[in-house]
Amino acid sequence: MDIAVCLCQVPDTASVITVLDGAVDLSRVHEVMNPFDEYALEEAVRLKERFEGSVVTLFCVAPPSAKEMLRKALALGGDRAVLISGTKEPSDPFQTALLLSRAISACYATALPDLIFCGKHSTDFQSAQVPLMLAELLDLASVSAIIKLNASTEGIQVEREIEGGIELLDLHYPALFSVEKGLNVPRKTTIKAVIEARKKPIDHLSLTLSESPFVAITAMKPLIRKKQCRFVSDAKELIRLLGHEEALF
Amino acid sequence: LRPDITVSALLAGPADLRQLEGRMAGTGVLYLASDARFSRYNPEHYQRLITDIMKREACSDLFFADTVLSRDLAPRLSVRLKASLLSGCSIIEDIASEASCTRALYSGSVIASFAPRRPLSIYTTSSRPTHPIIPSETHISLVLLEPPGFIEATLLPVVCGMVMRESGSDVTEAGIIVAGGRGMGSAEDFEQLEELARLLGGVVGASRPVVDEGWRPHAEQIGQTGKTVAPALYVACAISGAPQHLAGIGSSRKVVAINSDPHAPIFDVADYGIVGDVHLVLPKLIEGLQEFLKKR
Ligand SMILES: Cc1cc2nc3c(=O)[nH]c(=O)nc-3n(C[C@H](O)[C@H](O)[C@H](O)COP(=O)(O)OP(=O)(O)OC[C@H]3O[C@@H](n4cnc5c(N)ncnc54)[C@H](O)[C@@H]3O)c2cc1C
Ligand SMILES: Cc1cc2nc3c(=O)[nH]c(=O)nc-3n(C[C@H](O)[C@H](O)[C@H](O)COP(=O)(O)OP(=O)(O)OC[C@H]3O[C@@H](n4cnc5c(N)ncnc54)[C@H](O)[C@@H]3O)c2cc1C
Repeated sequence: MDIAVCLCQVPDTASVITVLDGAVDLSRVHEVMNPFDEYALEEAVRLKERFEGSVVTLFCVAPPSAKEMLRKALALGGDRAVLISGTKEPSDPFQTALLLSRAISACYATALPDLIFCGKHSTDFQSAQVPLMLAELLDLASVSAIIKLNASTEGIQVEREIEGGIELLDLHYPALFSVEKGLNVPRKTTIKAVIEARKKPIDHLSLTLSESPFVAITAMKPLIRKKQCRFVSDAKELIRLLGHEEALF
Repeated sequence: LRPDITVSALLAGPADLRQLEGRMAGTGVLYLASDARFSRYNPEHYQRLITDIMKREACSDLFFADTVLSRDLAPRLSVRLKASLLSGCSIIEDIASEASCTRALYSGSVIASFAPRRPLSIYTTSSRPTHPIIPSETHISLVLLEPPGFIEATLLPVVCGMVMRESGSDVTEAGIIVAGGRGMGSAEDFEQLEELARLLGGVVGASRPVVDEGWRPHAEQIGQTGKTVAPALYVACAISGAPQHLAGIGSSRKVVAINSDPHAPIFDVADYGIVGDVHLVLPKLIEGLQEFLKKR
């Protein structure tokens, strides 16, 4: 089975995000693998371990500094990685998805991979657009935000949470999934795996990007959420305030 | 509000139109694709339905509520229609000229505005209507769509079943959420939150450690790796208020925090606070609320 995993980098959750001249100042943040992509990678590696002869290829559109994150992903079970850059830097999810679709088409010359895994969304821009755009560009069946996956040689059953319940879906290969937390519990790296990962290839791929972005950012400001908390000592008083003054129930 | 703007709406699947009475306003067309096969989501069928209507009506903007379905469908439509996609907008301004959509990024520490760069735009919005609906001004015509030819095509994926939760209501749709954190102590202690939620007509939510411990299902997790919620009232019980949790509750209208630590960061984003042990405060709240509701 050929499995592709799309990985992106995000500031680690402990980072304090500051805005400088209308743009996010990333000079002091530490970048890590997008948390949802850890579940995507883990699921791919589990399938590789079940279906003999499988190869897991990692795709990442990012500057060269993302190599460190890709090394870690290789230590977690990826077989090879492709680090993609465009003739210009992608600036919206459409351009990112375009570059990914071109890189995937280039790497699997004759056919598409059997499965592509992405995270549900990135924790920085949180647009949840790249996976489904990629599926449309590659003309692939897809399901977003899956919480359960059951693969056999014939087909795949997945589950996703919808408002008020769970939806069960049946698919054939090839297919693309974006994954939600809860799909699996990602493993930790071992020293042996880290050493072995140094021998795994990371290819650099530079691709033309002539298309314009679909969306532009026009303003960016820090969001101050601090409120003035009114402390109450008595439960009854709180109910009166919420029920009468705020008329919430 | 703008009589020059015509709105076309689409209902997919069999629908009871009486439910729409008094909930529509403005000038426009309501398309009803009542074939039962549309009642289940199929991205290919829905894309075709929508693109047909957009062409027929020469629409320039397409709106979705921000839901699991629209998050699946809108990016595909954006590529197919070469349309700008502005997702998760909390504020949408001035779509007739220089449109913009505002939403939070980076777990709610940054707020950004986005503008479309294509002639067609798609918006998914989590905002609630700010204008009351005035039903007297409606000029709406109803168009019934014949089952289109494409519906027989076997296109994947196929929804083969659904399991709905018994309680029905979802944290993303709830008007009132009573959420518990690690400080609740155990799965059993959530019974009090369920009781409180029941009295308030709300639902129970949870922080991540609570879900990781297996005390509550993942569907109830709120925050960066959980749900983003927008209730009128959010009651945070024994939740410290980590940035990853706050990332999910930024759109709550009123926040109440109950925590034994007066310096817990949750109080920085709360409108009302009680400093105390949840095991002592919750029974009093439940009792007080029962009294309050009886008096009404
Ligand atoms: C309007 C707009 C303008 C932007 N402008 C800039 C800019 O000027 N400069 C800048 O640096 N950034 C910019 N960004 C951010 C950057 O383009 C986004 O990271 C990118 O669009 C991906 O979107 P997302 O992070 O929301 O991913 P999502 O769609 O939320 O990501 C979901 C999944 O897609 C996959 N994925 C996403 N991105 C990648 C990737 N790069 N490589 C591999 N897989 C990936 C991962 O599996 C991920 O879990 C902009 C974003 C937007 C929306
Ligand atoms: C990548 C990543 C993603 C994450 N995503 C999420 C997410 O989506 N959602 C989320 O919630 N977290 C998320 N987290 C975890 C987050 O960082 C915090 O660890 C978590 O929110 C803390 O949960 P808590 O407030 O329930 O527990 P704690 O931080 O342990 O706080 C418990 C609180 O209860 C109070 N307390 C204890 N006993 C009592 C009592 N008897 N009465 C009253 N108060 C009491 C304490 O004073 C304390 O403030 C994420 C973390 C990472 C690294």
